[in-house]
Amino acid sequence: MSSQGRGPSTQIDDALWSAIGDPTRRRLLDLLLVEGGGTATSLGEQLPVTRQAVAKHLGVLDHVGLVSSVTSGREKRYHVDEAQLAHAVSQLASVGSTWNARLQRIKRIAETIQHTRQEQPRQEEQHD
Amino acid sequence: MHSKELGTIQRELLIEAAPEVVFDVVSKPEHLKEWWPDDARYEPTPGSAGEIIFINPEGEGDSASFTVVEAIPPRVFSFRWTHPAGETAAEGNSLLVTFELMPREGGTSLRMTETGFREMGWEAAVLEEQYREHMKGWDYFLPRLAPYIATLEKRL
Repeated sequence: MSSQGRGPSTQIDDALWSAIGDPTRRRLLDLLLVEGGGTATSLGEQLPVTRQAVAKHLGVLDHVGLVSSVTSGREKRYHVDEAQLAHAVSQLASVGSTWNARLQRIKRIAETIQHTRQEQPRQEEQHD
Repeated sequence: MHSKELGTIQRELLIEAAPEVVFDVVSKPEHLKEWWPDDARYEPTPGSAGEIIFINPEGEGDSASFTVVEAIPPRVFSFRWTHPAGETAAEGNSLLVTFELMPREGGTSLRMTETGFREMGWEAAVLEEQYREHMKGWDYFLPRLAPYIATLEKRL
């Protein structure tokens, strides 16, 4: 039994969530998927950030394995690592039920109260 | 609303109960803690600042700030949460949750909107994951990733 209650992969997953939690990095992933790959220069031309900023973001994505690179001429050419992206997506998909679960509880509680009130109409009328 | 904000999630469902009943359930602390945190301390009136408490696996309580924004029974209840303790809740430092209630034949249509994930999604996800293993996180970027999923499914 782990006293921490969290798995050994937590650190990696935290980094993965953090990496994908940034809007610029998500746009980079979008572009890489659409175009099948790109360099800091080619991606920077399509985003309102500097080439240096793009390179830094790509480094973060590379660190968590969401992208990998091969050297192409003077620059690294990046592409999306689909296995790691699938891993991220499955994590995100598993959390999609959070509000659904809360709302189902709200529904159940409200409907229980409603039924209880309908079964005791005389009590409410006595408030007059 | 904040339609331009990335990371807005919205849900709508029909509840077979009067709007007044549903309003009580989404707004009153004694009901809130039945469907979400382990404890809730606030007054359900606009501007009221309080906290919601999550019990972690070690049995200790951890609190998140909770401030009521609007309370218009039985139509609208909204609040901000996750802002740093001591700070006034505002756009940029917190998540905004809005419940809108509409009377329907046989009950109430309840719409829930949550915005602010651009800034807060990660923090919220960490909080949730730490204290609720079965409810770990939020679907902040799920809508954005849906096209990716489709791409992957085609190839699998």
